[in-house]
Amino acid sequence: MAVVGGGYHFSSKLQTLPPAVQILNAGRSSINHHHGHRRRRRPPTPPIFISTNLSHVNPVQLRDLYSSCNHSCHRFPNVFPDGRVEPVDVAKLRIAISHSSVVVSVFASLPENLDGGGGGDWYRKMIPVTPFSGQLVGFGRAVSDDGLTASIYDVMVIPSLRGRGIGRMILQRIIRLLTNKGVYDIAALCSDEEMEFFKACGFGDDILGSTTMMYSRSGNDDDMVKSAGRKLLMVPPLRKS
Amino acid sequence: MQSSSSSSSLCAIVPVDCIFNGSNQLAYPCSFNLGLLKGSRNLKVSRLKAGFWESIRSGLIKNNSTQVIEPLSNPQEEEEPLPEEFVLVEKTLPDGTIEQIIFSSGGDVDVYDLQALCDKVGWPRRPLSKLAAALRNSYMVATLHSVKKSAGEEANNNKKLIGMARATSDHAFNATIWDVLVDPSYQGQGLGKALIEKIIRALLQRDIGNITLFADSKVVEFYRNLGFQPDPEGIKGMFWYPRF
Repeated sequence: MAVVGGGYHFSSKLQTLPPAVQILNAGRSSINHHHGHRRRRRPPTPPIFISTNLSHVNPVQLRDLYSSCNHSCHRFPNVFPDGRVEPVDVAKLRIAISHSSVVVSVFASLPENLDGGGGGDWYRKMIPVTPFSGQLVGFGRAVSDDGLTASIYDVMVIPSLRGRGIGRMILQRIIRLLTNKGVYDIAALCSDEEMEFFKACGFGDDILGSTTMMYSRSGNDDDMVKSAGRKLLMVPPLRKS
Repeated sequence: MQSSSSSSSLCAIVPVDCIFNGSNQLAYPCSFNLGLLKGSRNLKVSRLKAGFWESIRSGLIKNNSTQVIEPLSNPQEEEEPLPEEFVLVEKTLPDGTIEQIIFSSGGDVDVYDLQALCDKVGWPRRPLSKLAAALRNSYMVATLHSVKKSAGEEANNNKKLIGMARATSDHAFNATIWDVLVDPSYQGQGLGKALIEKIIRALLQRDIGNITLFADSKVVEFYRNLGFQPDPEGIKGMFWYPRF
């Protein structure tokens, strides 16, 4: 297939992908992608670089991605009057991703005008995207005990590139890495808006019919409380017999 | 708060710090270096800003504004939860033996004992190697052992595993509690409650605020009494269905 300058080859083996693969969509001639055989009418995906390498993650860039997607690490974040959520603490973010079993980041080189497929930026598609030259446009991570269970958190794609299969790609990569380790019990917490996305990617209600519950007890004046976003959670008192 | 990659890293993770150094070897244009330098400056600025956002956030809290926020200023925040072990309950049995129920976190759990306990409560069997890996990589494993000392005898090592609960976490924001079980003959005494409360306490002290669990229908009330809410504000848990 087409050989792109810089030594990046488009792999025609669609079943097994190396950890970092560049997916090229040459606009007019749409190449068969591994994730979508359905010919859905969606705008062409710009060249992207998908990486599961933790060293490609820049915490500050990641924090900005959280802000552009208006996503918070807290389940119930503080929301400013204009609807934006409070920015993520970078130090805590670093800790969180260093303790996540699977971290997937997607980079793309974004042209200024996102009308995609214009005649002028054919050259942009020829230049390989790298984690260093591209912009972070998508992310996803999973926390696991590498044996039995895993939970997926913070799957996000910037608003301008949504609806093109990037989120689904991120999720499938996470799942594949987890199942390679033998973890099949994979959970994801989602709000109403995210539910459709997860359903479309093969998630559903628990087979065993379990109920998802979150700790949300708030305390009163006598108790010790800890803030989590906009919730103030009561710390259970110490009791020694 | 500098984060050092802890010894219990799940795999050979390169600390994120390293991308801020040694970038000169890269053959890529220097826009990357500029990005790095900007990055570290932003990090310092964001620490200053953190205090600013705190003051804004406390002003934003609308409901329950009568809370008194007492930040815990424990110095031990950086590391894993300190392993604790103490006697939770002690009682004297009719025949004179003293039974102690010992709570422990961070101790080693024998997988064979655990599997025997899982059998007792009627759970399906799981591969031992996976069980061992799961315990090793959990953020916190809390156990209850029963130790019986016959009257007039030296302590005999009659230690029996009677309860366990474990939690996985990313050490910063989210945690999920899995595998909570108590020996049926010891149920109903508040032991399960003690296990969960201990775990919640340890998690909250590390500012880990999203504490989740997936409860079987029979135990939803049990967790409700401990402060858990089902599907809060429409948050649902979904599971992956393998498609072969």
